[in-house]
Amino acid sequence: MTSLRRAVPRNATWQTAAALLLLLLMLLPPVRRTIESNMTAHMLIQYPCLMLVGAFLVKERPARWLSAAQRWNELGIAGLVGSALTLAVLMVPRVLDLALVDARVEALKLIALAASGAALRLSWERAGVVVQAFFLGNMLPMSVVVGTLYQDSAARVCNAYRLADQQTLGLALVLIAIATAALWLLQVARRRTRATDGSSER
Amino acid sequence: MLRTALATLALALLGWWSAAWITRDFQAWTAEGARRLAVIEQPVAVPKVALAGLGLVNADLHMWLNGAGRATIVDFVYTRCPTVCTTLGSGFQQLQHALAEETTGGVKLLSISFDPAHDNASRLQQYATQWRADPNRWAIATVPDDYQLQRLLKAFQVVVIDDGRGGYEHNAALLVLDGRGRLVRIFDDTELELALNYARSIAQREASE
Repeated sequence: MTSLRRAVPRNATWQTAAALLLLLLMLLPPVRRTIESNMTAHMLIQYPCLMLVGAFLVKERPARWLSAAQRWNELGIAGLVGSALTLAVLMVPRVLDLALVDARVEALKLIALAASGAALRLSWERAGVVVQAFFLGNMLPMSVVVGTLYQDSAARVCNAYRLADQQTLGLALVLIAIATAALWLLQVARRRTRATDGSSER
Repeated sequence: MLRTALATLALALLGWWSAAWITRDFQAWTAEGARRLAVIEQPVAVPKVALAGLGLVNADLHMWLNGAGRATIVDFVYTRCPTVCTTLGSGFQQLQHALAEETTGGVKLLSISFDPAHDNASRLQQYATQWRADPNRWAIATVPDDYQLQRLLKAFQVVVIDDGRGGYEHNAALLVLDGRGRLVRIFDDTELELALNYARSIAQREASE
């Protein structure tokens, strides 16, 4: 009981529990099999859920650890570069096939996704608009290119997935990239208006 | 800022290294590409499987491939296949035509059905008739034992998936096997010329050894 209390800090709320529950759900063999039997679900449900696990898990770690980590992550640069590279590597089609047949790759994929989710959460606010724009300026065009390739390729890029599935994923990647760009711009614009409104009132 | 720069550099190196590992030094982005590279570097021996088909009763695949000075071009099919196997079928027909001018008979063709539940002797016969397969050049068979079939597919990384319409999708290709029963090279199903020339060259090499 005491060891359990030590592992979960006193200020822990629902986030650590949510992370562990989600992780457990994702690891459940029938869930994992169902999600991984579909290329779109593999990349667009499992990937974000595992990133969410990391993002939930990191928030309630002891403040001392987090501030120590953040000394290596000014402006969120290390975190954002790390997650961008991780996501780029995990979008290589071979990874999807390999994760199905090689347990080591599957385990590394899980760890990498959780870590990049955690890194994103620790870095996003610190990054500010310029570094955020740099990150999205790399990620979103890459998603569009990958998505377009998936849609246009006459050959399957994954041996374990159907051609139709690959085309759905391709379209979804393009749409998600566009939606993310739009939402981010909207959010930046709203912040700016709010900032200028605030200053004019004063 | 120095620490951040160091951390970023370390992450970039890690990213580079993992990308190089996954893509086999940036040469293969898909599992299919990686399979083809791996075979070139390290030929894959056929596992012990028994074939059954036209003129073949419980024939050991390794023995069958083992004829002196011989190379075999193998494809994996299922006879109901409406799409990619039609390419393979007509491709094999063209290969057979090209081989008919040869007298040495060094190169053989073998179609293996991965759907033995459906492809019984009469279906295989129908397939042979459909493509006018010459039994002396082009053998058509299946692996009746499911365990053996799965082992063969796994060894050659032939991935067969349900296409959702009662058929299959599979990574169709031309597999060149040498006389010692090893998979030595994989070609696209459209690279007939390349596959044939490669098979001829190893058949000649083995004959002269």
